[in-house]
Formats: sequence, structure tokens, C-alpha cells
Amino acid sequence: MFSGDTIPVRTATPPVYSVRGLTKVYGFGETEVHALAGVDLDLHEGELIVLLGPSGSGKTTLLNNLGGLDVPTAGELRYRDTDLACADEDQLTRFRRDSVGFIFQFYNLIPSLTARENVALITEIARDPMPAEDALELVHLGARLDHFPAQLSGGEQQRVAIARAIAKRPEVLLCDEPTGALDVRTGIVVLEAIARANRELGTLTIIITHNAVMAGMADRVIHFSDGRVLHEHRNPQRAPVSGLEW
Amino acid sequence: MISELDRKLWRDLARLKGQALAVALVMGCGLAMMIMARSLIYSLESTRAEYYQVNRFAEVFAHLKRAPDSIALRAAEIPGVATVQAGISVQVTLDIPALDEPASGMVRSLPDFGEPQLNRLYLRAGQWLPPGSRGQVLVGEAFAKANELKPGDRIALLLNGRRQEFRLAGIVLSPEFIFESRPGAALPDNRTYGIFWMPYEELAAAYDLDGAFNYLALTLAPGATARPVIAELDRLLTPYGGRGAYGRADHPSHIRVSDEIRVLQTLAIGFPLVFLSVAAFMTNAVLSRLLVLQREQIAILKAFGFTNRQIALHYLKFAFVMVAMGTVLGWIGGIVMGHRIVALYHLFFRFPELHFRLDRSALVLALLVCAGAAAAGVIGAVRRAARLPPAEAMRPEPPANYRPALVEKTGIAHLLSHTFRIAVRNLERRPVQAIFTVSGMALATGILIVPNAFRDGVAEVMDFQWDVIQRQDVGIGLVEPASVSVRHLFAQLPGVVTVEPIRYTAARIHFGNRNRQLAIQGLTADGQLSRVLDANTRQIALPPAGLVLSAKLAEVLEVRVGDELRVEVLEGKRPVRAVPLVGLAEDFAGVAAYMDIRALNRLMEEGDVITGATFAVDGARRGEFFRALKGVPRVSWVAIKDSLRANFRETTAASIGVIQSIYLVFATVVAFGVVYNNARISLAERARELATLRVVGFSRREVGAVLVTELVILALLAVPLGLLLGTGFATVILGQVNTETVRLPLVLTLGNYSFAVLVVTAASSLSALLVLRKLNQLDLVGALKAPE
Repeated sequence: MFSGDTIPVRTATPPVYSVRGLTKVYGFGETEVHALAGVDLDLHEGELIVLLGPSGSGKTTLLNNLGGLDVPTAGELRYRDTDLACADEDQLTRFRRDSVGFIFQFYNLIPSLTARENVALITEIARDPMPAEDALELVHLGARLDHFPAQLSGGEQQRVAIARAIAKRPEVLLCDEPTGALDVRTGIVVLEAIARANRELGTLTIIITHNAVMAGMADRVIHFSDGRVLHEHRNPQRAPVSGLEW
Repeated sequence: MISELDRKLWRDLARLKGQALAVALVMGCGLAMMIMARSLIYSLESTRAEYYQVNRFAEVFAHLKRAPDSIALRAAEIPGVATVQAGISVQVTLDIPALDEPASGMVRSLPDFGEPQLNRLYLRAGQWLPPGSRGQVLVGEAFAKANELKPGDRIALLLNGRRQEFRLAGIVLSPEFIFESRPGAALPDNRTYGIFWMPYEELAAAYDLDGAFNYLALTLAPGATARPVIAELDRLLTPYGGRGAYGRADHPSHIRVSDEIRVLQTLAIGFPLVFLSVAAFMTNAVLSRLLVLQREQIAILKAFGFTNRQIALHYLKFAFVMVAMGTVLGWIGGIVMGHRIVALYHLFFRFPELHFRLDRSALVLALLVCAGAAAAGVIGAVRRAARLPPAEAMRPEPPANYRPALVEKTGIAHLLSHTFRIAVRNLERRPVQAIFTVSGMALATGILIVPNAFRDGVAEVMDFQWDVIQRQDVGIGLVEPASVSVRHLFAQLPGVVTVEPIRYTAARIHFGNRNRQLAIQGLTADGQLSRVLDANTRQIALPPAGLVLSAKLAEVLEVRVGDELRVEVLEGKRPVRAVPLVGLAEDFAGVAAYMDIRALNRLMEEGDVITGATFAVDGARRGEFFRALKGVPRVSWVAIKDSLRANFRETTAASIGVIQSIYLVFATVVAFGVVYNNARISLAERARELATLRVVGFSRREVGAVLVTELVILALLAVPLGLLLGTGFATVILGQVNTETVRLPLVLTLGNYSFAVLVVTAASSLSALLVLRKLNQLDLVGALKAPE
């Protein structure tokens, strides 16, 4: 389907995210846990990044900080001209509303709204959204617009979640274990949808997972462990999602 | 192992303390009402019964003109009579130096030596009359208190037109005057009406009643009934001007206490039932929520070998902690409110000692009723949880099913916001929960309507009675019928603007086999002071023949306009005549029969006589008028409108105020509790959904709107329903106040409705705000993890 995943890695543009010495500490004294222990990263426009690491490595904490759901204890976290480390609650809300699309492991759809309404809910408050129907068409759900979450399979629900995340044309798409609750075949379909959104909308996309197989679909793979970037590498070219297996 | 389970119970409770408290408070309200009402019934009934027994309260009473003492002995021989007490009872005018206006009262005789056989007094202060004393009286407590009289003070009574000074020996209470009020008056005026007792010889001498009596009371032998004794007594006393004997059921003071007990009985059952149903539902809602959250824990407990019974017991314990809290709150509330109401009773009822007596069986009953309500509430939820096989319970609950709401099928779907859709779909998915929340809020609204409707009804009656029907400033009664010529004397009193004559005649009115005993009022045909009005508040010009009855009296007698009534006059020549019913009068206090004064005098076969008068007095010359009136001989009673009104404000109005505040507290608690509970459950059930909205960029305000929209929809449904419910409550409860003594019109004002809406809105908003504050504590990151 998306066999033409061969977009070159772009590094010339200024980074969307600039992260320096990012630290997040939970608790005090003896119970102190360094979830992030000094992370340095630059993330660029249009990149598809897979963040790999075992559970407890701090990758979700990093994603939460990038998405404005949490603020770091120390270090620098810049999103373009915005200093997210010092942003207040309202600025973070505005940031999430305007710039970030989230995709979660457990879909987190509003059960009382249909697929179309779940997407429209977000497009109503966005600055420059695409029509909800178009977003759902993009994830091949044009025929299930008026179904409620309970009437959809897990894969379909996750695709609604993707449509919801991309409908507002976000600048960054953050995906936390998007296939974690799905079987392989359904997972592939979901990842294809994410990759397509990244390609067609040019959205900086970060996928976190502990599934190393997914590294192949990325422009750049960042290995994470103990709250630090262990190492990273660039794929010379993205592998087609349909070829992934786990 | 079980103790660990109990520890879990306490932690769960600590987490749900707000909701548990809300449930306990609503339960507490119902129980408090029940305990209060039952204890008050017990207090009044037992205190009254003891008082009656110790002070030997009579069972049959009769007033007459005059009979020799030998007739009292014959009365004692009537089969079924146990003890007879004969004596003198007269109406007098008083002269109290500190009081501008003239006061009136009743003087009763006491045996010169020894205690009376019946209706014995209780000495509150001072001393009994010494044997053979002269120039001393005992005074009833209500009057003494209202006028700040102490033993040793002096007071002047006009006995048979002669002014005499007396020393107050003591302040007493009588089982005959637990409710101290002028006979025939709907409202007490303790400042201007008092009861006195003096030795028989002294009173008999003043009224030429030596060796005779004009009042008789008796008790019945065990097993005897009042009715045949009354009939026999009437036959015996008729030749002596008997005005018709009556039993306790028609005794004015006894009736007042019984009426109060009857009202309490309604309160003891109706309201607690409603409150406890709401509480039962709230218990169910809290428990169901807890059980859904703890599906997995239940599964694990079962996997480890806990039995269904142990698990059910565990959650029942949880419910019973709320029951225990509710019961304790109810006990405390009931006892505190009971004490306040007993304090109010002291304004109306005079007992030697009236203490709040706790009905202990009510406490036990409260616990049982409450436990029953809670058990009914939790049993379904617990059974569902216990039935679940462990493996199934360990899986998260399947996603909730939703449907488009009904309102969306009306073709206005495109107009609805997403927030509104979320709200209505949630409500429709949980209709039972929505219905109970609406019921609770409606209940809160409804119970606020009642006391205000009561207050407005009473105010309406008072205004109608005093400004529309009885427009006189002062009414007086004479000791005996007098020639109509005294009217000119009255007209010359200083400050008199208008004076109208009145003739009162004791009579029994018969229709079919029903009859009522009352005083027929002879009025001037087109009087401007004491008026007779029809249902449309138009004045009825009394025709030269025929009777006009209170509509209520006509209803009781089952008589229609045009029917012939048999009027049996109980004084003078005691004529018995057929008189047609010519009209129905609208009045609210007591029942009355009106006739043109000349027609009444013709019926009586007497000349132009009057027994009283009504006055309109120039406000600026009131003092002068009253001082002059004090000097007018042969006045037996004086009724002053302003004085009655002031007294009314201090007693009835004050007690309505207390009742109102109780209802206000209850309504606030219910509104607050129900809304809080509902919002907390919504918040807990949908924490994930709401957190998700926050994560994807909704502001706190926008997320709050999702919850608030739901509450607003519920409130919009509940409030009109509540107003309707309140109208129903008021109609039923005020409908009970439709007796021959008093009738209350149903007055429902915009102010009443607005107040109810305002209170419920305020209480709901406050609890919603409290819950909204919890929105700030939503765990955004937690919501993204696995569903609970």
C-alpha cells in the first residue's frame, strides 16, 4: 500500500523540538526516581522517529514532556519558540490543542460519541482542521462514520484515534505504544495509517514502543534506557510498514 | 484475614468519604424527621395523658344558665357517670393598669374547702387560695406571663358590672386550658384574655348564684361512652338553660393538642419515606460504582477462596457504616429539632412540665428502617458482583454501549453541540440514575414549597379574616342581652367612627340526623364592619329571613341552599324553628351561622336586643376609646384586632419560621447531597474520558462544561417537576387543614416558587463547584494507561 516510503531524512531545517539536559525526578529523598536523567535531542519537521526502550526506561515520561502533559524538573525543553519547561497550565493546554496530536495505546475515545463526532469534537476547537470525514477517509474508515466506539473493533477504534489526532493538522504526532493492544495484522494497518499521515501531512511523528521490529519504519531510531538516550541511528531508508512482522 | 479486609473497607470509605457523608446526611434528614415527629407525639400524648390523669380532667362538659345544686346530684345518677363537678363559670372584663386596652377573661369557681373533684389545678407559683379566703384569685399562666403578673400583684375584675380588686395568690395551670383561648376565638390572645379561679361563695355572691351552678363537668364510669350520657345530661339540663353538653372530642383545648398530634403523624411517615428512598438509591449508586471499580479486587479475593457470602458481607458492612453515620446524624438531628419544637409548644400549650421525651422505640425503628433502605439499595449491586466468575471479573468491563439520544432524532441534531450530545447520551444510558437524581432534586425543590405555602395560606386567611370580613378594630360582648338603645351609648364613646350591633345566640342547627352547636351571629343586613362574604368575596346582604352558613358547615351538615334547617335555640325561650338556608359564606376560621339581627330577634321572640357590638375606631383616639371602654359596665369580653395580630405574629408566625428553617436545611442537604453524589459518580466513572479531553487540548472550563451540562439538563428536568411535586405536597398537606376549626386556602406565589428554585440552584451549584474543583486533580497521564 505505502510501498513508496523512501522520503530522505531531513536535517537542514531548524529543529521543531530542542531538548537539552532534560531531567524529570519523581518523589523525594529515598523514594526519588530519575525518570529522565539528562536527555539531549533535536527533533525535526517531517521526521518519523521510533523511540525504543524497555518498560520503565522513561520513554513515556519523555513523550509526556514533549506533549505538554508534564513539565520537566530541570533542563531545557523548547518547542520552536516556546519554552515548554516554563509554560503554565493554560499555555500547555493551548499547545496541546493547537500543535499536538496524541495517539494512545488504549485509544481513549469518547464512548458516547460516534467516530465522526469523536473527530469533529477536536476539529471544532482546532485552528485549521480538515473535515472530520476527510480525516476518517484518510484512515479508511469512511464507511463507519456513525458507529460508536463500542461498535468498532480495537483496530478501528485506534484508527479513529489517529483520525482524531491528525484532523487538526498537528505539527507533531505523539504515539504511545499505538499497537500495544492490537494483534499483528491490525497493528500493521494502524502503523500504515500513522506512516501515511506522516508522509502526506509532513507531521513530525514520534512513536514510542518496546517492539524493536518497528524500528525499520522510522527515519531515525532512538534507543532509550534508564532515562537516557543510549544511542541513536538513522535508517538509510524507511522499510515499508507492510513488511514488518512480530 | 478478615481484619485485613476490614482495613480495605476503611480505606475505601476514606476515599469515598464525601459521598458516604452525602448519603448519611440524606438518610439522617429522613430519620431526624421521623424521630422528631414520633418523639413529639410521644411527648405530647404521654404528658397530656399523665396531666389528665393526675389532675382528673373531665370527659363531658356542659354550660347552662343556672341550676340548683340538687341537679348536679341528679347528674351524678345518670348511668355511666362516675364523678360530677359543678361550679360557676362567668365571663368578666378586666382592668389591668399597665394595659391601655380593656381585657376580658373567664372566672371559674373553686370549692371553698378542699380540692375540686375534677379539673384540678396545678400551682406554678405563689400559693393556693387559703380556705375561706376573700379578695384573692388564682390566675392562668398564659395570661400571667403575657402581662408579666406575679403572685401578690393586684388586678381589678368587673364582676357582674361591679369593679372589684383582687390579689393574685398564685399562678396556676388547668387541664381544661392547655390551650388558653377565648371560647369561639380561632386564635389565642393571651395578653387580653385570661382565666381566673376564685372561691365559690365569693363568685356566687357576685352573680346571685348561691346554691346553684352554671357549669358542670363529669367523668365517665369505666366502660361507659360519652354519647348516651351527653343525651341524658342535655335532657336534665334543658329546663335550666343548658347550652348543650359536649365530650372531650369537642373540647377546644383538647382539640388543639389532638390536631397537633395528627399533623405530626403525617410527618412521621410521609416525609421520612421519601427521604429514605432517595438515600437507598444513593447507597446503591455509590456501592455500584465502588463495585465496578473493584471488579478485579473482587475477582482476586474470590480466586483466593473468599466465599460470595464473605464478599457480600464485606460490601454490606460498607453500606452499614453509612447507615450508622446516617442513624447517628438522624438521632442527633431528631433530638435537637425535637427540643426546638417543644420550646415552641410552650408558646401554645400550657403543661405543668412539657419536656422532650425521646421515643426510644423510634431510635431502634430508625436504625431498622435505615438499614432496610440501605440493604435494599446495595443488595442488587452486591449480588451482581458476587455472582461474577473470577476469571470474567478480572477482565476490564466491556466498553459502554451508547446510542444517539432521543432528542437527536427530532431533526435538530445538527444544532446540538458535542458537549450536549455527550451529556444527553450519558443520561439516556443511565436512565435510572438520572431519574433518581432528578427525583432527589425535585424532592428538594418540592419540600421547600410546603412551609411557604403554609405561611402564605395563613397570611391570606389572616388578611381575609381581618381586612375583608371583620373590618372592625374592636369587638365586644356583653354579659347579658341589652336593649338596642345601648348602641347610642356606644356611639358616643370617644373616637368611635362606626358602631354596629351584634346578637349572639347559642343554638343547635340540625339537618337530617346531623347537627352542630354554635352561636348564631345576628348582624345588620348590610353591615360594613362585620361582613358576610360569598365565594367570590362579594358581600351577602342578609335577607329578612333565613340563615347563611359557612360553606364548610353546610358541607358538614350536607345541606344545600334552599333546604330547611331546624334551629334549636339553647337560651331564652328556647324556640325550635324551621329556617331556610339562603346562602353560603366564605370564611376560613371556625364555622359560623349568620342571620339578619332583626330576623334573629324575631326568631327568639324577643324585642330589639343586642349582645355585643363592633367598632371602627379613629386611630388617633384609640387610647381614649379604650380607657372609656374600661368604664363601660356589663362588657364580658373585648377582642382587639391589632392585639390578636401581634399575638399571632409572636406565636404562629414564629413557629412557622422554625418549621421553615427545618425544611430549608433538609432541602439544602438533599439538593446538595444528590447533586454532589451524582457529580462525583460521573466524575469517577468518566475520569478517563474527561482526562482524555484535557490531554487533547480541552481547557478545564471546557471539560467542566461536559459535567455541568449534564447537571443543568437534570436540573432543568428536576426543577419544574419539583415545583409540581411541591404543589402536590402543599395541596395534600394544606388539604388536611380543612377542618371546622380552620381552613387554609392553597396560596402559591411566584415568590414561593422562586425561593425554592433559588435554594435548590444554590445548593446544587455549590456541590457542583466542589466536584469541579476535583477536575483539577484529574490524572492526565494516568488516563492514558490501561483502563481500570
